[in-house]
This record gives sequence, C-alpha cells and structure tokens, in this order.
Amino acid sequence: MSIENLLPLLLGLAWLVPLASFVAILFFGPRMGAHGKGAATVATAAIMTSLGLSLAALVVWLGSHPVTVAAHGDEHAAVEAAAPDASSSTVRFVARLTEPAAADHEADSHGGPHGDAHHDGHSTEGHGDGHAAAKPVAYVGDWYTLYTGGSLQLSIGWYIDAITVLMFVVVTFIATCIHIYAAGYMHDELHPVTDGEVQLASGATFTREGRFHRFFQALSLFCFSMLGIVIAGNLAMVFVFWELVGICSWFLIGFYFERHSASTAANKAFIVNRVGDFGMLIGLMALWGGLGTLHFGDSVDPTTGAARPGLFELVRPEQEHHAQQVPAGLVAFSAADEVARLANAGGNPDELRHQVSAAVPGWRQQGYGRWLLFVAGVGIFCGCVGKSAQVPLFVWLPDAMEGPTPVSALVHSATMVAAGVYLVGRFFPVLTPDVLLVIAYVGGMTLFIAATIAVTANDIKRVLAYSTVSQLGYMMLALGVGGWVAGLFHLVTHAFFKSLLFLCSGSVIHACHTNDMRKMGGLMRVMPYTGWTMLVGCLAIIGAGVPFVIGFSGYYSKDAILAQALLFSRLNPQHTILYVAVAGGAFITAFYMFRLWFMTFAGTPRDQHVFDHAHESPRVMTTPLVVLAVLAVIAGWTLPGGFGVSGLLEQSRPAGTAASLTTTDLLGTITIPAEHDSHAGAIHVQATLTAFATALAGVLLAAAMYLKPIVSPSGVAAAVRPVYTFLVNRWYVDELYDTIFVQPALRIARVVSGFDRQVIDRLINGLALAAKRIASLDAWFDRTVVDGLVNAAGQITWSVGLELKQLQTGRLRQYVMFIVVGTVAIFVLATLLFRTSLAG
Amino acid sequence: MLAPENPAFWPLTLIVFLPALVAAVLSLPIVPKAREEAIRWITLATTAVVFLLSLWMAVPQLFGAVGPGQFVVGEAGMQNVVKLPWIDSFGIEYLLGVDGISMPLVVLTTFLSMLAAAASWPISKHVKAYHVLFLLLETGMLGVFVSLDFFLFYVFWEVMLLPMYFLIGVWGGPRREYAAIKFFLYTLLGSVLMLIAILMLYFTSDVRLLSDDQLIATHVVHPATAVDEIASIRSAEGAVHTFNLMALAAVGQLPNSPFASTTVWLDMSLETWAFLLLLIGFVIKVPVVPVHTWLPDAHVEAPTPISMILAGVLLKLGGYGILRICYPICPGAGLSLAWLVCGVGVVSMVYGAFAALAQTDFKRMVAYSSVSHMGYVMLGLGVWSAVAGQEYRWDFWAQGVNGAMFQMLAHGISSAGMFFMVGVLYDRVHHRNLQEFGGIFGKMPVYSGLAAAVFFAGLGLPGLCGFIGEVLVTLSSWNYSPVLAVISAFTVILTAAYILWAIQRVYLGAEYRGPHEEALTPITSRELSIATPLVFLAIVFGVAPQSLFQYVTPSVNRQVATLAEWTRDVHDGARKMVVADAAGADEKPQPAASLTDLVTAKSGGSEPWRANAL
Repeated sequence: MSIENLLPLLLGLAWLVPLASFVAILFFGPRMGAHGKGAATVATAAIMTSLGLSLAALVVWLGSHPVTVAAHGDEHAAVEAAAPDASSSTVRFVARLTEPAAADHEADSHGGPHGDAHHDGHSTEGHGDGHAAAKPVAYVGDWYTLYTGGSLQLSIGWYIDAITVLMFVVVTFIATCIHIYAAGYMHDELHPVTDGEVQLASGATFTREGRFHRFFQALSLFCFSMLGIVIAGNLAMVFVFWELVGICSWFLIGFYFERHSASTAANKAFIVNRVGDFGMLIGLMALWGGLGTLHFGDSVDPTTGAARPGLFELVRPEQEHHAQQVPAGLVAFSAADEVARLANAGGNPDELRHQVSAAVPGWRQQGYGRWLLFVAGVGIFCGCVGKSAQVPLFVWLPDAMEGPTPVSALVHSATMVAAGVYLVGRFFPVLTPDVLLVIAYVGGMTLFIAATIAVTANDIKRVLAYSTVSQLGYMMLALGVGGWVAGLFHLVTHAFFKSLLFLCSGSVIHACHTNDMRKMGGLMRVMPYTGWTMLVGCLAIIGAGVPFVIGFSGYYSKDAILAQALLFSRLNPQHTILYVAVAGGAFITAFYMFRLWFMTFAGTPRDQHVFDHAHESPRVMTTPLVVLAVLAVIAGWTLPGGFGVSGLLEQSRPAGTAASLTTTDLLGTITIPAEHDSHAGAIHVQATLTAFATALAGVLLAAAMYLKPIVSPSGVAAAVRPVYTFLVNRWYVDELYDTIFVQPALRIARVVSGFDRQVIDRLINGLALAAKRIASLDAWFDRTVVDGLVNAAGQITWSVGLELKQLQTGRLRQYVMFIVVGTVAIFVLATLLFRTSLAG
Repeated sequence: MLAPENPAFWPLTLIVFLPALVAAVLSLPIVPKAREEAIRWITLATTAVVFLLSLWMAVPQLFGAVGPGQFVVGEAGMQNVVKLPWIDSFGIEYLLGVDGISMPLVVLTTFLSMLAAAASWPISKHVKAYHVLFLLLETGMLGVFVSLDFFLFYVFWEVMLLPMYFLIGVWGGPRREYAAIKFFLYTLLGSVLMLIAILMLYFTSDVRLLSDDQLIATHVVHPATAVDEIASIRSAEGAVHTFNLMALAAVGQLPNSPFASTTVWLDMSLETWAFLLLLIGFVIKVPVVPVHTWLPDAHVEAPTPISMILAGVLLKLGGYGILRICYPICPGAGLSLAWLVCGVGVVSMVYGAFAALAQTDFKRMVAYSSVSHMGYVMLGLGVWSAVAGQEYRWDFWAQGVNGAMFQMLAHGISSAGMFFMVGVLYDRVHHRNLQEFGGIFGKMPVYSGLAAAVFFAGLGLPGLCGFIGEVLVTLSSWNYSPVLAVISAFTVILTAAYILWAIQRVYLGAEYRGPHEEALTPITSRELSIATPLVFLAIVFGVAPQSLFQYVTPSVNRQVATLAEWTRDVHDGARKMVVADAAGADEKPQPAASLTDLVTAKSGGSEPWRANAL
C-alpha cells in the first residue's frame, strides 16, 4: 500500500476509534462491569489503539521522509522533499502537493517580490531541492461530502504532513497517560458520591450516583474531536471539530454539574469560545465568499472534476515561488464594482471571466483585496484567541479548572487549548505580516497579563491555569514574529510538561483534598514521586538547562522563541516591547512556578491536619507521572541521527516562509525574519544567556521569599498594595466584561422582550379593540335601530344580555363569514368585470 | 378524465385527503364520543398510513425499485403532476405535484403529524373533536405543499387556519382565547393580502405569451392533447389567465413580463406589489420581526402536539411560499427587494435571540428561538448575489437557498423536539418557569440526555441537524452583504447563551426548585417513542446532510440558476439595450419602466394584458 493511502487509513482509524469508544460507552456504559468500571478499560484501550496507529503512521512517515542531520543540532533540520513514487497518483481524491522541485532553482535569487533575497545556504541536504520556496510534503484528500452545490463543496477530509503526524502522536500519547491516571483519580465516581461543595436548600449533604463511565465517555468524544481538528483537510472541517471540542469541554468542565460554579464555568467557556468563533466565522466567510474553497491543499472541483488549488496554493502560488499574494478571488470580490462595469459592458460569461482574470493583476496592484486577506487572517485568529485563551478571551480557562483534574491536564493544558496555536501554525501560509503582528501583540499581552496574575494566585490549579494561558501566549508570540518552528516546538514540549504539572497537582489535590497552597507545604516527605516529577515539570517550564550544552525540553523551545523575538525586535526596533515581554515573562514564569513548588513541597507543613492525611498516590497515578516526566526532559532533544521534534517540524515548514520578508502594508513596515537567522551566533548566544539569567533570577527570588524567608511575601504584598489587589482580582477583567458585555446584553434582551409586549402587542391589541368597538357599534345599531323598531323593550334587554354572553365566540364566526362573503364577492365582481377576457 | 391513467393521482390524493376523509368519518354521530382510546388509535393509524404513503413516494428504495407514482431522487423538475379540471370557468385546476423542494417538506409534515398524534394522548377534553380538527389540519398542510394551482394553494392555506384556531382556542392554556384570536387575526391579515396578490397576478397573467414548449413544460396543456389545447390558446382573442404556479413563474420571468410592465399604484409595478403582498402574507407565517408576536402566545398556550405542528410545519409554509411563489413569479421585485428579505431575516435572528435570552417561560424561550432560527431561512432565501459584480455566479445564492431549505427541515425536527421536551416537563409539574426548575438530570436522566441532544441541535452544534443550515446560510450571505453576514454570524453567540443558560437552569444543578417534585418520574415508553425518532433524525441529518440535499439541491439549484440567468439576460440585458437605444434621450433608471419601453417596442404597442387589467 502506498504511503498516500496508508497514512489517511492509519490516522483516520486513529481518529475514529475514540468515537467508537464514545458510542459504546454511551449505550452500554452502565453495564460495563461493576458501576461502569469497564468504561475506563474501553476508553483506554481505544486511545491506546489510536496511539499505536499514530506511532505506526509516524514510522511510515519517517520511512519515506527521514529527518536528517540538522545544522545547529537543535532545531534546524533538513527538508526532505523528494517526490514519493507517482504510481498511485491516479487515486481520484488524492492530490499530492509535492512536486519534484524542478522549478525551484530560481527561488533563491527571488525570495518573493517584496522579500529580501535571502539565501538559505545550509538548510538543505539530500536531494538538494529543499529550497526556501519548496513545498512541504503533504497528503490531502476527502472522505466525505457535507454539501455540494455548483462548484462549492464542503467536505470532511485530511491534510497530513509532519505536524499532523506529530500532533497525533503527542495528543494520543498524553491522552493515554491521562486515561490511565484518570482510572485511578476518578475512582470515587464508582460509588455514590457525596459532594461537599453542593449546598442544598435544606442544608443536608448532597449525595448522587457515581458517573465514572460518563467521564470516560466524554473523554473519548473529546479525543475524537481533537484529532478531528488535527487531521482536518479544510477550514470547514476545522470549524466542525472546533465546535465539538468546545462542547466536550462544556461536558467536562461541567462534570460536577450539581455545583453551580461548575455549570456556570462550563457555560462561560462555551460562550466565550463562541465569541471567538464569531470572528472565525467572519474569517471563513471572507475566504469562502471570495475563493469558493476552504481546503488547505488542492481539491477536486465538483463540476468539472479538475484539480482546484487550495488555500495555500492560492495565497502562495507555486509560480510566484510561494511568495504571498492576495488571491485572485479576493481581489475580484473586493473589486466588485469594477467587475460589474466589465459585466455591464456586455459579453458572454466566458469572455467576462477572461476579462476579469486579465484585470486582476492590475487591481491587485491597486490594493484590492488586501483588507479581505487581513480580515480573513484576523478572523481565523479570533477563533484561536478563544480556543487558546488569549487576551481578551482568556477569562474562561481559569474557571475551567472546575472540571476534574485529569480534564484540566488533557483538555485545558495539553490539547484543546493547543488547538488554537496549532491552527495558527497550520494556517500560517495565509497569514499576512500584518496579521502576524497582531498575533504577536496578542500573544505578548497574554503572556504578560497571565503571568502577573499567576504570581498572586493561591489555588494550585489556577496557578497552572494562568501559567498555561501565559505559555500559550509565548507560542502565539513566537508564531507572530515568524518563529514557526519555535512556536509549534514549544506547543509540543509544553504539552508534555504541562500535562505532567497538572497531573502532579491532581495527585497533590487527591492527597490533600484541597486546592489551596496555603494549606500545603513539606509534602516532599510524604509524596516523593509527585514532588520529584513536579520539580522536573517546573524545571522544564522555566527552560532550565546548562547553556549551550543540554537542558530540559523547555530549554530548547523557549530559547528558540527568545531568539526569534530578539531578532524580530532587532529588525523592527519599534516593536522591541515584544522581546521585553518575552524576557520579562520568562522571569515571572520562573518565579511563580517555583513559588508553587516551594509552597507545596518544601518547608514545613502549614496545615498539620492536611499534612497528616496526605499520602502518595497509587501506582496507577504515579506511573503516568514518571513517563511524562521523562518526556518533559527529553522531548526537546535532537538524537544523534538528527531525529527530533524540531527537525520533524522543519519538514512541514510552509512554503515560502524560510526567507525573511519585509512588507509595508496596513500596519506599517514589518520585517518577518527568517527563523534560520535566529540561530546565528550572536542572537543565539544572547537569547540563551538572557533566558538563563531571567529564569535563574526568578527561581532565586522565589527561593528568597518562600524557601528561606529572606523577603516576606506579605511584606512585599503590603508594599505594593494597589498592584497586589489589582492582580489578586485578576486585572478586574471578569468584572469589566460583566459590566460592558453581559449586563448590557441582558438589558437589551429585556428591552427587546418588553418591546414585544409593550409596543407591538399594544398596537395589535389596540387594532383589535378598535375593530371590536366598530363591531359593537354595528351591533348596537342593529339592536337599537333595527331591532328596536321590531322588538319590545324587554326583548332588547334580553338580547343585550345574550349578545354580551356570546361575545367571545360570536366574533369568530363573523370573521369567517367575512372571508367567505368577501371571497365570493370579489369573485363575482371579478367575473362581471373581466367577462370579456374569458370569452375566448 | 385523466386520473385513472395517471399513476401519481392516487398516491398524492390519498396523502392529502386521507386525513380529511378519516376526519369526516370520525365526525359522524355514529362514532361514540366515549370511545376516546379508539379515536386516538384511529388518528395515529391514519397519520402513520399517510406517513408510510409519503415515504413510499419519497424513498422508493425502501420499497424496491422506483415505480410509477414514486419520486425520482436527483431530478430537478416537477414530478408526479396530477392535473384535473376543477372550476373550469376560471381555469382553476386540481393541479398537484412534487419536486425536491416540496417532497421533503411533505415527508416532514406526515412524520411530525404522526408524532404529534402520538403526543396527543394526554389530551382529555373533547377528544373526538380534537382529533377531527387535527386530521383536517394535516390535510390543509399537505395540500399547501403539493398544490401547484394558486387558487388550490389558497384554499388549503385557509383550510389550515380554522382547525388551528380551534385547537389553540379550545385546547390551549389559560390565555388560549387571546392567543387564538391573535393568531387568527394575524394570519387572516396575511391571507387577505395574499388573496389580493393572487387575483392581481391571475388577471394580469396571459399564457399566450409562453412558447409551445413552455406551455407543455409548465403543464398548462396536457402533453397528450397539447396540439389542440395550444391551438385554442393561440386563437384566443383576450388574455388567457392562469392560476398555474409554474406558468405564472414562466410568465413572470419573460422579458416582456406583464407583471413587471404593469404599473399599479405609487409608480410601482404590479410585480412589486404582488411580491410585497405575498411576502407579508408569508412572513407572518414564518414569522419575522415585527409581525411575530402571535407566535410566542400561540406556542405558549397551544397544547404540546399543536406546538410541535406549529413550529415544525406551519412556520415552514411561509418559507416555502416565498421560495415557490414570490421569487419565481416576481423575480424583478425579488431582486430589488432582496435587501428587505435579508434585512428582516437578520433582524429576526438577532431580535429573536435577544428576546429568547430574556424569557423566564421555558416554552416562550423556545418560541423565540424559532423566530431567531427562521431568520436564517429568510436570509438564506434572500441572498441574491448572482449579480453583475459577482459575474452572475449563482452557487453562493444557491448555497443560501439550500441552506435555508435545510434549516427549515432541520428546524422542523429540532423545534418540534424542543417543544415536546418542554411538554414532557409541563405534563408532570404544570409550570414552565425557568427559575423553578433545576436538577432534572438527576431525576430523569434518559429524558435529559435526549433533551440535551435536541437543544444542542437548536444550538447549531456540528453533528446535529441545526449546524448545516446555519453555516451554509451564514457563509453564503457574505457575497450578498458582508455587513449582514457579520450580524448573522454574531447570532451564534446569543444562541449559545440562551440555550446553555436554559439547560443550566432546567437540567443541571443539584435540586429541583419548583412545585410537584414528586411528579418528576422517568420518561414513559410512549414519550420515549416520540423523542427517540426526533433525536435520531437530528443526528442523521447532522451527520449525513446529503440524505436531504440529494432531494433539495437539484430543484433549488435549477431555480436559482434560472433566476441568475434571468438576472443577466433579462434584467441587466434589458437595461443595457434600453440605455443603448435611448442614448442621449432621457434615461430612465427604473428597470421596470425600462422593461415597459422594451416590451412596448417589441410587441408593437399592443398590450393585451393591459386591456384586461382594468
């Protein structure tokens, strides 16, 4: 079986197996063993199968596309762009993006019309065709059609490249660890649960049935949805699974739905995500309306059966050496008035089409469509802002910690929130420098704001939640400043160490039955596994390492981000603030992470009662910790053969992004530096040393405040009271949103509802009343004048009483009579008037 | 005359009239009122038979190969046309037929009628009268969907009205009389306006303008006797009027359309007036803001099965009418008033969603969600983006119309489901106050799971039926107007807010906060057998939308493509010719006026329709 059939098969199965598990547990969950205990086995087996299939896909991938020697040993690997065998190119829906890069020899000297010509000297190996402008290998195709109408088609399909395979492995691997861990952690749900956080009106304690199987059911659905985003071959499919991930998150955050706080947090998460989706929809519309396709790669035109270029090809056409340009469809869309002028000049459709396509380059020069591409990019990014909890939509993620801790580890740190970063990475070729700048600033603000809030949080999960928001900001910023590999590399390493950190915190909570770090302390003595693995996680997240020698996984990815941000601020001095945010964020990260670790595991117990009941978690929970800890150490390493995450990522670098690019557009002149340049000596050295120094400073400060109390935390808090209060209240963002969005929306809703009753209905009732008055006047006339002549006075009284009694039902008959009589009358009239016309 | 040979006669006639026949039998005095259980079963059996008949017609594969009288999936044109003379002196015919637009709606109607009949078991007041009216209502609804004669269409439209009035007014809640009168007045207003438009179109129409091929294609003449009939039409001295909807559409799309060239009042063409009158008649049914206030009251007061029918089927009649009648017959007005259709659609979406957010009555909230969801239908129908600036591309508009059709069908499932779910709770605790629920999931887990699925379908969650229509409509609207598109996209936030908030207040939480807690018993098997098919279909349509699109798309695409061609060749083409002719002379910006000139020039001053129009 050839690779372009094998990969979709393997990954497609890996994607669908969790769905099967979901369906099985949905229908048979309660009957799976005692109290549904077997559900954990089913779900775990399913996700393990997915992991196996994903690993098989990785092996298949590497078999055809080996990751070869990297120039700098860490994140620079070669692009292997050799054309796979062409034997199966007859498969109808399988279009291959990779062509023998014959036309690429000019690429080096061009680098794009706007771009600096930038020769990428030593990035290529092997066949020597992995130029800056070479297309990365990707396999694309469609499984299933949702809608076809004319040339428009929405479908479910795949786009498989190195990131897809890598993300499959990462997601299924972490999910497997978490499934195993959760089988232990959720043990309480096997029996009737007494939920102490639920307040009943009667004051009694609340007890309910356990929901063990429901948890795994939702987890399976979540894995299916997440993998759906990863494998998606087009933006419409991304949107489908985007929403599904959202609803899974709703289920999981609201798992303890008896708690009002949990159901509110679940709603908040979904609705805030929908705000992002609103933007995403606008982005989708902008692309769809102009281009008529949402496929990433090439697809098939349903009317002609011919190949149709996908978004990447449209925005970075091969014949332009993958330099970014506004696609013709968007140009023509925004030049609709010009098109109309051509159309009104006459000519048949074919002529018109030719005239339009001939005029497009000119229109493009005039700037038509630039805004549309910007709107499309920012719109799609809005969706990512929601899902990846960026400023201003980050408010849902800390509240999402209402869910069980394994959920926090899987959904709200390692995978779902990663979807936004993943999509920015996937969609990168379409993003203009302006959009990238927006992304960089959003990321920068996010990483800073979230980090400052994490400093004052005392809930162990909330510290990690804000840390997640902050780290996601790092990734966004990295992508925004052109660090495509750096951002996605950090996504992968972060997935490992953050899920580790969350599982450790879960273990701590499991032992202490509290989230409050002020009641912890000294736990290292009773929970050594948890303590040590969490220390590994903390070291990984701050990017600890021996400079230029070796380090934890975060060392590599964070350094890459720092270096890219530094280079970006060198080339764009007006945006130096971004580098300051990154470096400052690194310091704050180190501080709050070690604050967390010291408060929890070091020193003496603050609450003896909690300490006495604490115990190390069972083997089923500690084993995943150890496994993840190992990966948190090594995930960033590049093996002697050249294999490593960054090398694998480099294989899928979007075409045309290896060279630096300077543009002057909507937001001024921006230079997006080539990522390769940030590995150059001076930049690299400075970035590494800065990272080391800031992290060390953060750890030392944390130690000074919480390990050896040289500086009193409360003293510091008192000294900067206003700032402290501001941070403890999380910048008052929730309050702000409540004031400017939620309350006004509810007020509008009340006004609208009142308008119906007070204005429209009053008008209707008034009309009805007027009709009734006229009718009763008519009745009065009947009774007094007509009847009065005939009947005696006593009879009049009788008749009034009778009429009044029948007023309600009597009216309707009158109306019916009106219709019947009216219809007949009009017809009679019409017949008389138009008799002549019927004569023939 | 032609009935026995026509294989479609009996299937279509039975589908429409079997309920009325049974209703007539049931209403006879020989049926004892006391045999309530028997009456219920007979009604359910009748609706089931009608459903099976419609299924036999629509999905022949289930019953073997496609035979005569059955529906050929994928064919765009009108099928199984039945044509018999009815009132000869006005050319009114018993003209029935189905295409990809009406066939799914027919099946939806028969399906929901069956479920609603099953949901009518708790009705205990005047059981016999209720079921008689219920069956009459079904005949009316089905008749509207299959009528191809405008007069017949109107008759069925009115037939529907009265049973509905009584079903709300007699079997409704405390304010039933107010709600029923309100419903009646609103719809009556719509009917009257529609009648005026019908007569206007009828007396202006002239089938002599059509070519021989068109006469045959629109079933004005029967193919077997075409030669004679055409000869008699051609030899007619005055205009030959018609109620035939297909013929009216063909006339309306002619370059010399008499509808466009006749100016009626306020310097607006007859076409524009007819379009507006019909539009008002139809949008009252849809309903759109601001003529929607009958809906919340009618829904709140109506008994559960009637709410299901009301939301599931009756609202679709408006959208169907606009698609089947307004656009094909009055394309010029449709194009120039597209902003109106889209505008009221978007306003309804946002307004309905906001209003739903403010409700404390569960059923009222669902009713307002219908207003919001039907706004998508209006928007999708109206996005006439096949204009010069878009190179007359019709596929985006077709996408909108297909989305609107899908949304109608999906909303039929999800809204009927939502009303049923509310009804299940109401039957138990006899209140609908959202503030006084909570903890239902703990007490009725199976019911709550199904209800959540239905509400998520309303939320537009992918994998359930509500998503496809909304996304197609929203995506298509960008090419008509980015501003409207952005506003319509904004609705997704509000929708999520009101549905999730309602779910939280009703189903989640630890304890129930209202009266009659002891009555919250698990779902019964009867209720389960109604809810399960709805949830099942919500999933099927969400996962496999092609199951519906295979019916809808060919017919919709054909109509939209025809109108796009009309835009290019007739609408824009006419204007260009006139501008070229009258170079230097006084220019007339009104396309209707230009068309008049054109027609006058072409037909040499003789205007047969004018002579008769006064």
